[in-house]
Amino acid sequence: MDSWVIAMMLGASLFLGAIALAAFLWGIKNGQFDDEKKMMNQVQYDDERELNDAANQQRKKESVNKKEEYRPE
Amino acid sequence: MSKVKCDHCHLEFSDEVMIHDGEYRFCCNGCRGIFHLLKDEGLESFYSKMGDTTLSPPTEQFEASSNFDTPAFSERFVTTTKEGLSQVSLVIEGIHCAACVWLNEKALHKMDGVIEAHINYTNNKARITWDSDTVKLSAIIDMIRAIGYNAFPYDSSLQEVRANKERKDYYLRMAVATFATMNMMWIAVAQYAGYFTGITQDIKTILNVAEWVLATPVLFYSGWIFYRGAYYGLRNQAITMDLLVVTGSSLAYLYSIYITVFEKGEAYFDSVAMIITFVLFGKFLEVLSRKNAADTLDIIGKHIPREVSILEGESIRSVDVNEVKEGDVIVIRSGERSAIDGEVISGEGSFDESNLTGESEPIFKRLGDKIISGTTSIDALIHYRATKDFAHSTLSNLVNLLENAMAQKPSIELLANRLSQHFSSTILFLAIATFWIWYFWPHSFDRSLMVGISVIIIACPCALALATPVATLVGLALGAKRGILFKSAAQIETMAKATMVVLDKTGTITMGRPEVVYATIHTPFDIGVLHTLVSSSKHPISRGVKEYLDATEAEIDSSSIEEAREIPARGMVGRYNGAMIAGGNALLMEDLGIEVDSASDKSLFYYAVEQQLVAVYELRDLPKEKALESIAALKALNLRVVMLTGDHEAAAVRVAHEVGIDEVHAHLSPEGKAAFIEQAHSEGYVVVMAGDGVNDLLALAASDIAIAMGNGSDIAIEVSDVVLMNDSLTSLAEAFGISRKTYGLIKQNLAISLVYNSITIPLAMMGYVIPLIAAISMSFSSLLVVGNSMRVRWLYK
Repeated sequence: MDSWVIAMMLGASLFLGAIALAAFLWGIKNGQFDDEKKMMNQVQYDDERELNDAANQQRKKESVNKKEEYRPE
Repeated sequence: MSKVKCDHCHLEFSDEVMIHDGEYRFCCNGCRGIFHLLKDEGLESFYSKMGDTTLSPPTEQFEASSNFDTPAFSERFVTTTKEGLSQVSLVIEGIHCAACVWLNEKALHKMDGVIEAHINYTNNKARITWDSDTVKLSAIIDMIRAIGYNAFPYDSSLQEVRANKERKDYYLRMAVATFATMNMMWIAVAQYAGYFTGITQDIKTILNVAEWVLATPVLFYSGWIFYRGAYYGLRNQAITMDLLVVTGSSLAYLYSIYITVFEKGEAYFDSVAMIITFVLFGKFLEVLSRKNAADTLDIIGKHIPREVSILEGESIRSVDVNEVKEGDVIVIRSGERSAIDGEVISGEGSFDESNLTGESEPIFKRLGDKIISGTTSIDALIHYRATKDFAHSTLSNLVNLLENAMAQKPSIELLANRLSQHFSSTILFLAIATFWIWYFWPHSFDRSLMVGISVIIIACPCALALATPVATLVGLALGAKRGILFKSAAQIETMAKATMVVLDKTGTITMGRPEVVYATIHTPFDIGVLHTLVSSSKHPISRGVKEYLDATEAEIDSSSIEEAREIPARGMVGRYNGAMIAGGNALLMEDLGIEVDSASDKSLFYYAVEQQLVAVYELRDLPKEKALESIAALKALNLRVVMLTGDHEAAAVRVAHEVGIDEVHAHLSPEGKAAFIEQAHSEGYVVVMAGDGVNDLLALAASDIAIAMGNGSDIAIEVSDVVLMNDSLTSLAEAFGISRKTYGLIKQNLAISLVYNSITIPLAMMGYVIPLIAAISMSFSSLLVVGNSMRVRWLYK
């Protein structure tokens, strides 16, 4: 048996594992696990309107940021 | 009568008292207002989201929100983000359910200029970012209030943010370490299977390289904390546990790379990862149980009134406390707390000074008497002239003293820390010695280096690092089950070493409120009338009598009394069926021309009908249940038990005698109590102080371990290290028991890991340790320590 098969399988599985780890780390950094009670309840408020509201809020945030950038100072 | 739910708060009331508004029903106008507001804003889906929970109807007593816009406020609480936006941290009051969080966030998001509102459901803290050009903070606060909640600012800048950040940092490092170590374990299975049954060199190299890849982030990312610790340790010329971990794992890592590249011998990558992971977990447990001194001083700040009413000519104006000058006339109404010291110029009434003096009896103030800041007016409407400004008033002084005391809190060096220094230097010395001995014996450089490294790896303090945190966590859990909350793990060890326990009298040893101990009935009378009379007053004595009547009389008919009124510092008078009734102290009886015998060391409550004395109740502050047994238990632990109180000598000695305390110091000011504790410190005592009131604060802060009663004042709880939730003295004795047991356990654990090392280190020095044995021994010693700690559950039932 060629040993490169083992090397390849080892590499592939570690790579897949690393992707999952990266996603988990991103979640921690983003504060997804900060508020255990809210995290479990958030799923109740997850309809289309909520998504729209969230998008609007994001737009509002960006518009303010832009305004700051163009401030003539 | 059919009950109907209010459409806002969902509390049930009978239909006829409800406000009818079309098809809707409301219990009050506040609820109706909020309901219509939410409807107008398009947020009525809140009600379907909140399900079965009920809300509390809104209250309308708010300070004006305009003080949220003052420069003083924004300097203290508001921060500016790098985009030029303002940010504030608030605690939102009244959040009951996830829907409340939703509603607050949505309502704020709908406002122009609010960029982000993030509310934490678990601790009700909110972070709000807004554009101060578009909207004012007061408008945001008004919105929160309008939808039925209230908000307080809190200072988030300090330790809390740092503590959270540190914790998150540990999570990240632990996630990486755990992931890598777990994956390495199954690679190691192949390695060890190959070691015993034969394996070709190229497969071995592939496995080694995979382990190399995994070990690298563990050592340099997760293990970064230890590099940092070792560096700072060296800079202070100390050999720390961190240094040992770092040298062991770095050397093993470098050696393993050499093995992998030149394809000879066995690699130690799995040991590297395991050492770092285990010790990191131990360190994390320590961080987790460290005292979060976070917003102690903020809580104190909440108790200081931020505004006072001052009289200017005819009008009353509320101003910031810092703006009050000496000589200003301050108006204080009943229920208000004074912020500034002064002297009464008009009006009279009782003040509750228990905050500062611990005296449960209200103090009567009249023209010319001194008002002390921090005391609360019970029934007085008083005008007084400020004799000091805010910064020099008693309350501010107290806060300053407290801040100093907290900064200088003594700390006792922990056993594990002391031990690890000697341990680390010994192991490093042994490892170097082993290397040289092997090298000159003579062996090849490779072989000698490997044996030297194996000494460090086998000695690596996994078990030692876990010994203290695991044992203390078990101790913390044990205490928590019994309503004893240790705020920090390190306190358990300090408490176990305590040699002296200082108890406050009022509220700690005693119940903190007067109770009727003896009743003399001269002539039979209508109990219902007396009950109604005492119910009308909030004075502790009247409450004591009322409780006594509730407890002893089977049935009490309430009756209506006409012209009932309270006479400050005397009692109550009223008229029932034309007959004049009066209940109060000897002064009241004197005023009414009734001769009474007032010679008693207890508080007496007289009740007279038509100038005729009909009953006398004797009241006093009784010791808590099982106080005698608990004090005896404390003494059995070889503790010097002392009672301190602000009360007068006679009362103090009597209580002390009842519960079996021999050493009493009475008539002490808050500073006096603290001075007593400092005196004890200088005599070499490790002092535990138990108290409950603001008057104990300084003493609590000065002591090694401060214990607060669960129903004590918020500040006392914040300042203390241990909280007894059920207020009983039995838990105090239990807290000592638990801490001593836990400390014993820590010592055992340390002994286990040392004994373990004294067996394995000679083996390693003789060169018998292969990577497999190193890995097994590390896991096994850690398991031993954890297993031993679990034993405490059986030890302490």
